[in-house]
Amino acid sequence: MTDRQENLLLLLPGIALLALAFLVPIAQMLVLAFQGPDGWTLDQFRRFLGDDFYRAVLWRTVRLSVLITALCLLIGFPLAYIMARVGPRARLWLIVMVILPLMTSVVVRTFGWMVVLSRSGLIPNTLRDMGLVGRAFSLMHTETAIVIGMVQVLLPFMALSILGVMMRIDPRLEEAARTMGCGFLQTLRTVVLPLAVPGIVAGSLLVFTLSASSFVTPNLLGGPRVQVLAASIYQQVTQTLDWNFAAAQAVILFVGVALVLIPYIALAGRVRRG
Amino acid sequence: MTHTRTLVLSAGAVLMASSAAAQTLTINSFGGAYEEAHRKCIITPFEEATGATVQVETAYSADGFAQLRAQAAAPQFDVMHFSGGQEIVAAREGLLAPIDPASLSNADGLVDAARPNLDGGEGPAYSIVAMGMLYNSEAVDGPTSWADLANPDWYEHLVLTDMSNTYGMQGFLMLNQVAGGSLDDIQPGLDMVTEMLDGGAIVVSTSPEIMQEFAQNDAWVAPYSSDYAFVMRDAGLPIGFNQGEEGTPGVYITANLVANRDNQELALQFIDMSISPEAQVCFAEEMSYAPTNVNAELTGEVAEATPFGAEALEGLIRFDPEVIEERRSEWVDAWNRTIAR
Repeated sequence: MTDRQENLLLLLPGIALLALAFLVPIAQMLVLAFQGPDGWTLDQFRRFLGDDFYRAVLWRTVRLSVLITALCLLIGFPLAYIMARVGPRARLWLIVMVILPLMTSVVVRTFGWMVVLSRSGLIPNTLRDMGLVGRAFSLMHTETAIVIGMVQVLLPFMALSILGVMMRIDPRLEEAARTMGCGFLQTLRTVVLPLAVPGIVAGSLLVFTLSASSFVTPNLLGGPRVQVLAASIYQQVTQTLDWNFAAAQAVILFVGVALVLIPYIALAGRVRRG
Repeated sequence: MTHTRTLVLSAGAVLMASSAAAQTLTINSFGGAYEEAHRKCIITPFEEATGATVQVETAYSADGFAQLRAQAAAPQFDVMHFSGGQEIVAAREGLLAPIDPASLSNADGLVDAARPNLDGGEGPAYSIVAMGMLYNSEAVDGPTSWADLANPDWYEHLVLTDMSNTYGMQGFLMLNQVAGGSLDDIQPGLDMVTEMLDGGAIVVSTSPEIMQEFAQNDAWVAPYSSDYAFVMRDAGLPIGFNQGEEGTPGVYITANLVANRDNQELALQFIDMSISPEAQVCFAEEMSYAPTNVNAELTGEVAEATPFGAEALEGLIRFDPEVIEERRSEWVDAWNRTIAR
């Protein structure tokens, strides 16, 4: 047996699993999306894209995902920088703190937010006491709730991706910049930030795709009145049993994510090279 | 010699494994307080009586139906429970097996409404839930008619339930009827909901969320079901339950025999147990479900807490499940548009 054959043999279980568990269902979904009662059709796509309601759901999904990614980056970058510059012990504690939300179940986590955000919760109550809002004010079942909940869950993906890259940046580069007259912020902007781009790209990709496709947290925190695309797909599959339409929405979600990601990756590549 | 022995041993192991497999029954239940009562009244007694193991998957009716459809070629459930009338469509699609009434020892006691089409595959109803109005008895005098819910002073404390939930669907159809709509026209109901939402009403999708709204978030009224009124009172909340003057929609919870499974005999025993007087009395005691078997006699407090007995079933409103299934997709779409922010 040649090396090549041996390698192939070793790859086989992985490929078989991938094909069975991933490619087959995806292919099936693609077929479903273009199928109608009388053979091949684009009707499902026309129905989705020709309808203000569904376009609004798609737009909300993309808009919230962009916002969530931006917030994660805003919080994650400084956090990763500090984690990379403190001692190993403090770093460990910070990492534990960041990934702690991932260790609790999504239901428990969401109930925590309900306690804080619902009508009699901490924040609405405080705002009401200060006379800022009416008595029916609640943060539950709003886009704000979705953003808050999702940033909490997805922050580790961003912070740890950037941390990995940040750890490999030689601190002497910053020292050099400082000795040559750069201020702290200028050093961050001209030295650290460009070098951290691979981590930022990887983190943003993860956060964006995860938040665009996530379903449980937006559904629980957003409620039935604030639908995102994944929730709409779930509803078509389980309630109205319109699988063709669900498949078409899944394809649209995929294309929508790709449309945002491809220019982003290209842009980030240029920044890194330039 | 060793070879033969190994062969015999493994053959024996295979035999044992397959007989053990035949003694496992897979069913769905609805989670929460319901599932606890389900275990206590039917599942555990059944396991003790037959020695079989019952595997319970938590799935609401709509989810369960979707799974059943997806598994049409190789079903994974033996008994499927529905509350939203899904059995009618499932039976028509051949996903459920016909039940010979003679194979159920308790079938004779069932009221006619609980066994409309056993031969066609629609399983018997084993408990009935009354739809009415839940209210916080410390905050308001209970509404006595459905029309009372359209009270602008209450909107900020009104909880509606999403159409994905059977109770939400039934409650909405009743509001629609009161607002002047019908199964052919749900626009009056949607208009009423729009007005309620504009006034500050909220929409939730599950029973625990309803409980939370009453327990923590100052909810006063909600169109919902008798069983959860009972559960919430049991939990110490000041909850009243009124049936509306205009009528009471009934939700039928059915136990259905899944087609193309090899241990249907055991499944039939399970369904038979579900419609037995003992199980139904237990369900009434646990969650105030109305029995469908005339032999299930409720006494004292339980009889009072249960909104009606088996004989009163005929008086309940039942929105035609076939129409609901037929138009569900269209309605859910219209509902989503109405409630979307």
